[in-house]
Amino acid sequence: MDVTYARDDVVTFTKSIYSLIIFLVLWEAVAQMGLVYYYYLPPLSDVLARFVELTLSGEIPYHSYLTLRRALVGLVIGTVFGILVGILIARNAVAEWFFDPIIKIGYPIPIIALVPVFMLWFGIGDQSKIIMVAIGTFWPIAVNARNSAQRIDKNYIRSARMMGTSDRRLLWRVVFPAASPGIVTGLQIALPLSLIITFVFEMVAGGGGLGALEIEGVRTFDPTQVYATIIAIMLIGIALDRALRLLRNHYLRWV
Amino acid sequence: MSDGDISISNLEKVYDDGAEKTKAIEDLSFDIDSGEFVGVVGPSGCGKSSLLYLIAGFLETTDGTISVDGEPIDGPGTDRGVVFQDYALFPWRTVMENVTYGLEEQGVSKEERRSTAQRYIDMMDLGGFEDRYPKELSGGMKQRVAIARTLAYDPKILLMDEPFGALDQPLRESLQDQLLDIWRDLEKTVVFITHDVEEAVYLSERVMIMTRRPGTKKTVVPFDLDRSLDREEIITSDKFVTTKNSVWKSLREETQPEVQP
Repeated sequence: MDVTYARDDVVTFTKSIYSLIIFLVLWEAVAQMGLVYYYYLPPLSDVLARFVELTLSGEIPYHSYLTLRRALVGLVIGTVFGILVGILIARNAVAEWFFDPIIKIGYPIPIIALVPVFMLWFGIGDQSKIIMVAIGTFWPIAVNARNSAQRIDKNYIRSARMMGTSDRRLLWRVVFPAASPGIVTGLQIALPLSLIITFVFEMVAGGGGLGALEIEGVRTFDPTQVYATIIAIMLIGIALDRALRLLRNHYLRWV
Repeated sequence: MSDGDISISNLEKVYDDGAEKTKAIEDLSFDIDSGEFVGVVGPSGCGKSSLLYLIAGFLETTDGTISVDGEPIDGPGTDRGVVFQDYALFPWRTVMENVTYGLEEQGVSKEERRSTAQRYIDMMDLGGFEDRYPKELSGGMKQRVAIARTLAYDPKILLMDEPFGALDQPLRESLQDQLLDIWRDLEKTVVFITHDVEEAVYLSERVMIMTRRPGTKKTVVPFDLDRSLDREEIITSDKFVTTKNSVWKSLREETQPEVQP
């Protein structure tokens, strides 16, 4: 029975990614047959070999670490401020009056457009990148925190106050947990955004990281390094997304 | 000893949304003894929910006073507990965690919280569901959790806003009887809002009928009966039928438009 199950699993898994497999086989074939110039698209096998080489040499791990650190530190800062401001807007009329217009304008701005401005203001180091990630991820978190905090059932608040929760404790005891599904939705938008911002900033400003590693591949006429880096950032993106889903399923199992 | 009596005098409530003033309650005076079960019925929009929320302290009185045990109320407080029609359970907390909430706020130790909560969970026949989340429960079970949550922090007064309004008839009846048992055992003062005349008469020692808006006390119908009887004996008794009809008649005068001669 177990064997059958295992084979079924393989079949299901293969089915779910068969379009991807076709794509990868096509890639290898097209490149091997010399239908495209090597510099545009080296064969998948070459890219994978280069990926293993860069991983074993420690380059991909090191640059991944730089990218991840910038993205995640910025994301944490952006999330904390986003939650605070979002909930404040929902709960306080003065805060709403002040912050709401800022959020309405700030959210749709393509933050990447401001990379040169950040280079002027904060330089090209870690600090500059982290600030940009923090600001970029702030918006979706703040908007989602605000929306969900505004929609909290009034009777939750009434019940809590009746049971002796003070106005100040209310935020932590009721508003935050009640708004947490919305906040996690914001986080699911902000997480890939933090990687995109870091990656682009590294491409433009250097200072190491996967973005810089990819651009280095272009500058040294090494297309395999370009694609190997893309694989690395893809894997990181998928892994983080999966991790966030797992956390969501665990902490928000009550939703 | 007075414990959980409510005194309402010359109560007035006006809603003012800036553009328009709506008088919901006008010159309402009413005293409820401690340990008494009072039902409140009235036409829709008569301000019966407003009255409950004023006693709860969610709303501020425009004029007049509401006192509990001689003290004018000042906002919500743990001497009173509210049970809502939509349960208002915290969805992120399990049944046990919902019931312990009020005790957590009072700083009761963890073991004591759990044992107290367990007592009320068992009282409401929720044993075995301690670790479930509200979304996994039926409406009737949710309302039983809500009642257990309110009882757990031991308020003297239960304020119930059409608590069984969303439940089907057999479920309502079993919860009504459960509530009566609790009321007798725990000696709470209960103010029970409903639009169901039979429910009001069956449960209450006195039923207050409110006028249409602006709502005020129209009449109070007392209904003292032998509580040792079972439901069927009660609802088929002459006394019950007569009382129900008089409440119904009084209420009908308020819901029917005045007939022009």
